Order: sequence, then C-alpha cells, then structure tokens
Amino acid sequence: MALIFILGIPLIAALLSFFTATTVATLGTIAVTASIIELAAALSITSSIGLNAPYMFTTFLGVDHLGAIPLVLLVFGGFVASIYARGYTEHEISKEIIGFNRAKKLFAQLHLFLLAMSLAIVTTNPILTWIAIEATTLTTAFLISFYNKPSAMEAAWKYLILNSVGLLLAFFGTLLFMTPELKGAHTGLASWSSLLSGAASYDPFIVKMAFLFTLIGYGTKVGLVPMHTWLPDAHSKAPSPISSLLSGVLLNIPLLAILRFKIITDAVVETGFTSGLLITFGIFSLIVSAAIILVQKNYKRLLAYSSIEHMGIATLGFGLGGSAAYASLLHMIYHSLTKSLLFFSAGNVFLKYSTTKIENVRGMVSVLPITGPIFFFGVLTIIGMPPMGMFFTEFSILARSLTVHPAITVGTTAALIIVGIGFIRHIADMSFGEPTGKLPSGEQNAWTIIPLIILAATLLVASIYLPAGIQTFIARAASTL
Amino acid sequence: MNPDTSLIAYASVAGMFASVILMHLMKRSSLTVWLYTLQSLLVVVLLTSALLKEFSWLLVLATLAMGGVKVIIAPKFFTELIRKHEVRFSASTYVNGPVTLAALAGLTAFTHAQFFRALTQLNSAQSDAILLSVSMMLISMFLIINRKGALSQMIGILSLENAIVAFATVTGLEQTPALQLGVVFDIFIWITIATVFASMIYQKFGSLDVSKLTHLTED
Repeated sequence: MALIFILGIPLIAALLSFFTATTVATLGTIAVTASIIELAAALSITSSIGLNAPYMFTTFLGVDHLGAIPLVLLVFGGFVASIYARGYTEHEISKEIIGFNRAKKLFAQLHLFLLAMSLAIVTTNPILTWIAIEATTLTTAFLISFYNKPSAMEAAWKYLILNSVGLLLAFFGTLLFMTPELKGAHTGLASWSSLLSGAASYDPFIVKMAFLFTLIGYGTKVGLVPMHTWLPDAHSKAPSPISSLLSGVLLNIPLLAILRFKIITDAVVETGFTSGLLITFGIFSLIVSAAIILVQKNYKRLLAYSSIEHMGIATLGFGLGGSAAYASLLHMIYHSLTKSLLFFSAGNVFLKYSTTKIENVRGMVSVLPITGPIFFFGVLTIIGMPPMGMFFTEFSILARSLTVHPAITVGTTAALIIVGIGFIRHIADMSFGEPTGKLPSGEQNAWTIIPLIILAATLLVASIYLPAGIQTFIARAASTL
Repeated sequence: MNPDTSLIAYASVAGMFASVILMHLMKRSSLTVWLYTLQSLLVVVLLTSALLKEFSWLLVLATLAMGGVKVIIAPKFFTELIRKHEVRFSASTYVNGPVTLAALAGLTAFTHAQFFRALTQLNSAQSDAILLSVSMMLISMFLIINRKGALSQMIGILSLENAIVAFATVTGLEQTPALQLGVVFDIFIWITIATVFASMIYQKFGSLDVSKLTHLTED
C-alpha cells in the first residue's frame, strides 16, 4: 500500500502544480506536503522490511534491502529540495529572472523526475528499470536548459545525446541478461530474482559481454570516467534544487542497477571479472576528477566533479567487496546528504553573487552568515575530514584495498589528498577576504536556509551516531553484493 | 522461426543494414530521414514476421504503436524540422568520405570477428542476421559520433535503437508486448523532446551544426 503513495503522490503533485497552483507558495506547499507523505511511506516500507524478507506490493513492484537505501535517500532528497525550491524560485521571480509559469513547470517536472526515479528503484523488472531511468533523462532535460542560455542548451543537448546512447547500450546488455528467461520458460515479466535463479543456464561469455554493456551504459548515467563528459555541464547548468537531486540522488539509481547486474554476473562467472571492471572504472574516475578539481574555476562544476569522484569511490568499494561494499553503501548515504547540502549552499551563493566563478566570490562567510559556514562545513565533510562519516567510509575502502593490491591504495590515497587540497584552496578563497562589490550581508529567505540546517544536522548526527538498527540494515544490504 | 519468416527476417535486417550504410553516404537531410523511415518500416516488417509465428493482440498493438511512432510521427517531426529551419544538407562530418568508408568496413569486420560471434549461439539459424544487426549498432554509433548535424545525431540514436530491436527479434529476445509498449512510449517522448531541443538549438545558434556549440568551453 505504501508503494502506491511513493508512485501516486508525485504524479498527483505534478498535476496539481501544473494545473491548479496560482502562487509559488502554493507550489511549495504542494511539493513539501507531497514529499512528507512520500517520506513517511518510504520509512514505513523500510521499517517493515527490517531484517525480514523484501517488501513486495505486486510481483513486479517491491523493495528489498538494497533498494530501500536509495529509496529513502530519494524521498529525503526530494523533501529538502522541495523546501529549497520554494525559496529559490521565489527569489528568481522577485529578480524577474523567471516568470511564474517557468516556476510552475519547474515544480511539475521536479515531481515527475521524483516519480521516474522512484519507479526505477521499486520495480523488480530490469526493462521497467531501464524505462524509468530513461524517463529520468527525459524529465530532466528541460530542467537543465531551464535558464534558456546557450551554454545551458548545449549542456542539455549533450546530456540528452550521451545518456541516450549510454542507456541504449544498457538496454542491449539487459536484453542479453534476459536470454535464459526469454528463451526458456516464458512466464511473463522477468524480475531480478528470476534472472538470478536462472543463472545456472547462462552462457558465461554472453554474461560477461552483457555486464560490460550494462556497466558502460548505466556507467554513463552514473558519470564514470570516461563516459562522464556530460555530467559537469548538466549538473552545473541546472537550477540548484535540481542539481542537488541530479548529483545527490539520481547517480545512486543507475549504480543500483549495475549492482543488481553484478549480483547476477557473479553467480555465473568468477567474481574477479566484475570486481576488476568496477575497480578500474572506480579508480580511473577518482584520479581524473581529482586532477580537474584541483584546477577548477567554477564552484558548481567543482561540485559536479566531486560527484564523479565519489561515485568512483563507491564503485571502487563495490568492486573490492566485503567490508568495502558496506562502506560504499554508507558512502552513498553520506554523499547524497553532503552533495545536496553543497548544491543548496552553492545555490545561495549564486543568488547572492550572481556568478558561479570562484574568483568572483570572496568573503562568503561574512556576506552569507549562515550559508557561508555551512558551505565550509559541507566541504570539510566531502573531503573526508574526521570525524565526519566520509572519513570512516573512505578509510574502510582504503583498508580493504590493501588486501587486494597496494597500488590501488596508493593511487586512491594520492587522489584523495589532491581532492582535499583542491577543495580547501577553493573554499578558503571563497570564504574569506574582502567581499566582491558592495553586497549586503544576509541570507535570501528562510526557505533557502531551512534545508541547509536540516541536512547539516542530519549529517552531523549520522556521522557521530549511527543507530545499530541502521548499521545492521546496511550490512544486510551489503551482504547481498 | 519457420523458413519463410526466417527469410523475411534476414531480408529485413539486411535492408536495415544497407540503410544505415547509406545514411553515412547521403548528403541531403531529407534523404537521411527517408532512409530512417525505410529502416523503421523494415523493423515493423520484422515484428510482423514474429507476429506470424506467435499471434497476440497485445503484440499487434505494440507493432502498430512502433510503426506509428517510428514510421509516421518521427519522420513527420524531422521533415518539419528540415522545412522550418531549412537544414537541407547535413553532410558535415568529422572524418572524410574514404576514412568513413574504411571505418564502416572495419566495424563490420570487427563484428564478424571472434568477440561478437559468440552471440550467434542465441539463434544459430539467424547467425548472419544477428551479426548484421550488431554491425548496424556500431555503425549507428559511428553516425552519431561522425556527423556534426543535430538531426543526424538524432537519427543515429534512433537507428541504434532500431538495430537493438532487430537484434532482439532475430535472437528471439523480444520483450513481452507490454514492455515493448513501454519502450515505444519512451522513444516517442524522446523524439518529441529531442525535436524541441533541436529547434531551440537552431533558434539560439542559427544552425543545427553541433560543432558550433562551444559556449560550455568558455565557462
């Protein structure tokens, strides 16, 4: 029953936003109310799963331990983005950058985007997952070109073309995975579990080929190097509430699809095959993004490259397996929370300074007395400063990598140090010094601050104290990998 | 597949393969669209041959939807785009003609080499059609990479999708009709959005040549 709310509420909210809302306040109220209901439904599903069997609504709609983690992150991300979107759009309308109709479209598409992501997680059918992930591309293309500037248009076109090609390759890989299901007893819709149970009849070479295609295909959507080129453009051009969802939430979903295919592949061929590929793509993503972070000039692109870096870390951890898989799941959680926090902070900086160039932002801590320190806190978190959660997850992944190959540990450590230096240098420049121009000190409005406080508090608590029940839940999810 | 439907399937895939090769050689946008229409029609023929083997009303619906979207709606959108923005020629490529032909030959040879040959075990009676459909996938991707025109890139993606449908059909991996409808619906939305974007790009840049999209590098 709760799944009906997860899928039905965003649809209703999209329709209400588009057809009935007359003010931004109404749009905001619809969005926040909808996201609270979705959050309650997701928490209800997660608690009902507990340590028991997966929650099944129908044969092709259900949530298991592995799916519950991105689902909760999605609805929580949707909740804070809904609050933030109200303040953000109110400000953009007041400055006459956008009109009310544009705001209405933004909210309607935001709900459809949440719906597509939810469906991708809760469906148990791999083709439906593909359809839903493709739908996330289609619902967000116009959001990326939201400001209608030439660069935003280019970013959206690049996003549309590269992701479409990537997803078609993933579709091809998915079809190959379904060979035994469709060639054998054709019993209707295939599911992840039916594919796994039919693994004995797979041809190992075809499975390897299928995994390679799904990894490259969905890896494009995750932003793994070298298929990442669309990501920094798309994530930096979208309005901040959308960027937070693109970076903090969406990237987890194709990664989840890759993990589900990894489980099937590991049942057919030696584990080293998927591990080797995931480690290679993970470390490559980490190293390339670290180098670019160091010389980055645009703070939104900086955050986008950081997403590539963290998806690389998570992929590396999943490739290493064992305790690193647990750490990677936890890393996904911390990354989602931190990246949403950072993109909202970046949004506030943009609203105040009207630029995304690092060199044009100075004295952020004094000009934005709440956002400035929170942004700084977010940066410390994202680079894995102790005692924040990411320090422990990265440490666990590094520790595990030592047991596989010391070269991985050395490469990863070097890349993490470069990322740390790059971020500290940029954030220090932005935070202190004489403010650019004559900007008055103060925040835009409460709606742009509340989500920052919620996220910072959640991050702090989750880093210091993670309840045993949640740890066991994550361990249960990791055990399936 | 019985012998007649096997022949129909092979002829359809061979025709589709020829169409994507010709797309690389055509200079006029309208001819590229026409070739895509022909290719899509052959996909419908291929699905119809599957229908002859195993009839279901849902599959009829899926085939009709696919035909409606790919043979009628998409070409109509593209023709409108050409007419509206007068993009009669889209021959601009990153590599010249002889290199393009060499690349096409290389890609076709590669798909007939050891790596992809393993796929023929999915349906050994249609091994040639399987390898041709895989060649078509790679050649469609090359079309997306090599052409500078937004219209050609869109057609390249749709041709890649046609190649995957052809592969799925000749290997017997076609989805249940309900899922096929879902995929067709996705493709329909994709065509609509991509066409709108192409129009927006033309309005902003005065061209559909994607090599002129250089604003991101200035950021």
